[in-house]
Amino acid sequence: MRSLTISTVRITQRTVMRVTQLENLANEWAPSLHFLVPVASRPKFDEIARMTSGGLSNITVALPTEIKTMRSRMGAIPMIRLDKPEELQPGDVVAVNPAHHSLQVLLRESDTHHALFLTNRCNNNCMMCSQPPTRQDDSWLLEEALSAIRHVRHAPARLGLTGGEPLLYGEDLRKVFDAVAEYLPGTQIELLTNGRQLSDPAVSASLLNGLRTPISWFVPLYGHADFLHDFVVQMHGAFDETLSGLLCLQAYRQPIQLRVVLIEPVLKVLPQLCAFIGRNFPFVRELALMGCEPVGFALANRTQCEVNLTHWASTLEHSVHLLDQHAIPVLLMNIPHCALPKALWSRATQSISDWKQTYAHECATCAQKKHCCGLFSWHKKSWGSAPIASIKEEIAS
Amino acid sequence: MIAPRQQPPFYRLRPLQPDVVVAVSDTGDHCFLCTSEAETLVQRPQHLSIDRLAELKSKFFFGPLGWPGMSRLYASRIAAKKETVLNGPSLHILVTTLRCTHSCRYCQVSRALDDDGYTMSLADLDAACDTIFQSPSKVLTVEFQGGDPMLRFDLVQRAIERITEKNKTERRQLRFVVASSLHNLTEEHCAFFKQHQVYLSTSLDGPAVLHNRNRPIPTRDAYTRTLDGIALARRCLGSDAVSALMTTTHDSLAYPEAIIDEYVAQGFHEVFLRPLSLYGFAHRNEQVLGYSNAEFHAFYERAFERVLYWNRQGVPFREVSAAIALNKVLSPFDSGFVNLQSPTGAGLGALIYNYDGFVYPSDESRMLAEMGDLSLRLGEIGTPLTLLLNSPLQRKLISASLCHYVPGCRECAYNPFCGPDPIEAYGRFGSTEAPVSLTGHCQRQQWLFDFLFSRLHANDPWFVDLAYRWAIPEALRRGANA
Repeated sequence: MRSLTISTVRITQRTVMRVTQLENLANEWAPSLHFLVPVASRPKFDEIARMTSGGLSNITVALPTEIKTMRSRMGAIPMIRLDKPEELQPGDVVAVNPAHHSLQVLLRESDTHHALFLTNRCNNNCMMCSQPPTRQDDSWLLEEALSAIRHVRHAPARLGLTGGEPLLYGEDLRKVFDAVAEYLPGTQIELLTNGRQLSDPAVSASLLNGLRTPISWFVPLYGHADFLHDFVVQMHGAFDETLSGLLCLQAYRQPIQLRVVLIEPVLKVLPQLCAFIGRNFPFVRELALMGCEPVGFALANRTQCEVNLTHWASTLEHSVHLLDQHAIPVLLMNIPHCALPKALWSRATQSISDWKQTYAHECATCAQKKHCCGLFSWHKKSWGSAPIASIKEEIAS
Repeated sequence: MIAPRQQPPFYRLRPLQPDVVVAVSDTGDHCFLCTSEAETLVQRPQHLSIDRLAELKSKFFFGPLGWPGMSRLYASRIAAKKETVLNGPSLHILVTTLRCTHSCRYCQVSRALDDDGYTMSLADLDAACDTIFQSPSKVLTVEFQGGDPMLRFDLVQRAIERITEKNKTERRQLRFVVASSLHNLTEEHCAFFKQHQVYLSTSLDGPAVLHNRNRPIPTRDAYTRTLDGIALARRCLGSDAVSALMTTTHDSLAYPEAIIDEYVAQGFHEVFLRPLSLYGFAHRNEQVLGYSNAEFHAFYERAFERVLYWNRQGVPFREVSAAIALNKVLSPFDSGFVNLQSPTGAGLGALIYNYDGFVYPSDESRMLAEMGDLSLRLGEIGTPLTLLLNSPLQRKLISASLCHYVPGCRECAYNPFCGPDPIEAYGRFGSTEAPVSLTGHCQRQQWLFDFLFSRLHANDPWFVDLAYRWAIPEALRRGANA
């Protein structure tokens, strides 16, 4: 998530705001929203000051740091100051956090991936987790997400909801689903969840009965037998509850993307896992095979999580072939083309979120660069899916 | 009724080749084991390798193990296999007339053109159309058979119009099929069929010499006239509007490659290599027409090789009985073939409304009636469907076809893929409960499953791919998600 350092004046608590140009403020203004207006000149500042003194309490000014002082003759205006206000874009939904002197861009219209982080708690403890779970009550994140949804200017095609495990909110998560239906008509939710809580019929009924929000459910599965999956997620009984959750989603006719992160204990059983999915979950929309992000627990469990995928090329090809036989569509995510056998390039998607994505210097001369997902921005600090290589062959994806 | 077993073992074994055992679980998942591994599975499963243990666990060889999620998955897998017989009869066959221009030697029932009294009354026809909608099935296939139903096109037209009208409020997914020699097909007929999206099914026994020998008509040109009919139908209704069925007679046994080549040459995408069913007139001519299982299997293997040959040439072409069996083995969904179900698809999956005013559970049972045995009637046309399906006969057919209980089936490794044919048992032995293993149905299916599992075990990647394409055709591939 993009984070900027700021100083704040007259902002007492963490507040969600929409960035708006002064000239659009009249069009966009609504009493229930909070607006952050970048201002660099005295006349514009005064214009906002007039609005504020006229009773509009939901406007904050964003000033460049180099402008030393700007005071309103008409009273106090809430403001933030930051080095480069141009880093804010109109339509950004931001969280201003006075206690930490920071501003997070929660959602940005020009991004291709949009996601809201709902909790850091989780009922699994996956050995490669990129976001190691914590125990503290962080349910304020749910309220902030609801606020962020209200602040979106243009409904995006898709909105990711991530964690931690969002289903730990139980029926309260329905508030988010309903808010998306109300404020973001046409937006499809992409929910990352292990699905375990759906094994409780009360939870699944309250979340799914009469649901009007289109949701894609992204559910991980790491083994075809309980002890294999439970080992990867480090939780006894998780496999069985995830199976229940998947069947519950099928009963409610929800679209499912199964997700398999390619770490060593998973690669060792990948063909058997794919056959299991083909026979037992033929109703899933697709299966995503994903490169492991070298962050979080993956660093701590490096011996299991660091793999050179070029050593597993035949396993990957065989597994994809099994999925083809069972008519399960398959995607490869977060894996650069240079880590994959050529036959699988056409299955690889450009999946790395804008703010995490980068390329290495080898990529500059690579013929596949335009089709490739690139690398995680932290790839230099740790390891990648394979040694980076520049590909000379031009094979259309 | 069809509750899966609640206690072990949850699998069955069958020796396939020296030191190759095919093991099949109740969910229809299979694996190949060597003899010693099979012994370990039976006697000391905890001594299996960890990889094999994981595989067999994931294939339900140890049942759901008391886990709620696995139990739900186990139940849903078994339910998916039973959809054809649990969702209400979806195949409704109207035998509108027995009249026919052919005098085929193997034909069970057909009558000459000047025979009176072999045509369904209008009142029965209308009542049959109405009964069809009493089935809860969302998909209804209405098939016209004979004789040649096209000799009384007026009845076909009346039924299709009545059913279409009724479907304006019923909103089922309808499919019409007319089985005919196509000798009398006209452009006017085709215009009507196009309007109602009717598919045609015809008989093609092979090349001209064989077809004309099997299916004589006075002018001795049955083959040419059927091809003319196919061409007309394709011109008017599209290239996929016609399918063809063949019957294997003793004469056919000499032509396995020629039969396949004929089907390919005529632009068909599949052939259904059907053995003769020894009913009706065929039964009387058994000495002339009949052949042993071994003869049929030798014929089948050669024809099957020829089907593979064409696929290797890049011509996609399926053999239907293999495709049905492979669907059972390789796909979690049932393709809906009514003759391979437990409980039996006779009645539960398909109903025959006969010209004589009675409803029968299968084609074979109406043929027995032609020979004077009326005991396989479910009831008169017009009887409510619930009464037909609760009739003493239907109950008997169900109880005689529960493969978890029927001796011979309950131990058979192919149990999850198959089901006994109580009507054949009755036809041959006078009892629906005659030993299953003596029926031709059982012997043929066991042979076919052995044959296909041996092919799968050989693990030729090209063949395995082909097997999956046959097992999971496009319609099932994504349709299952709807």
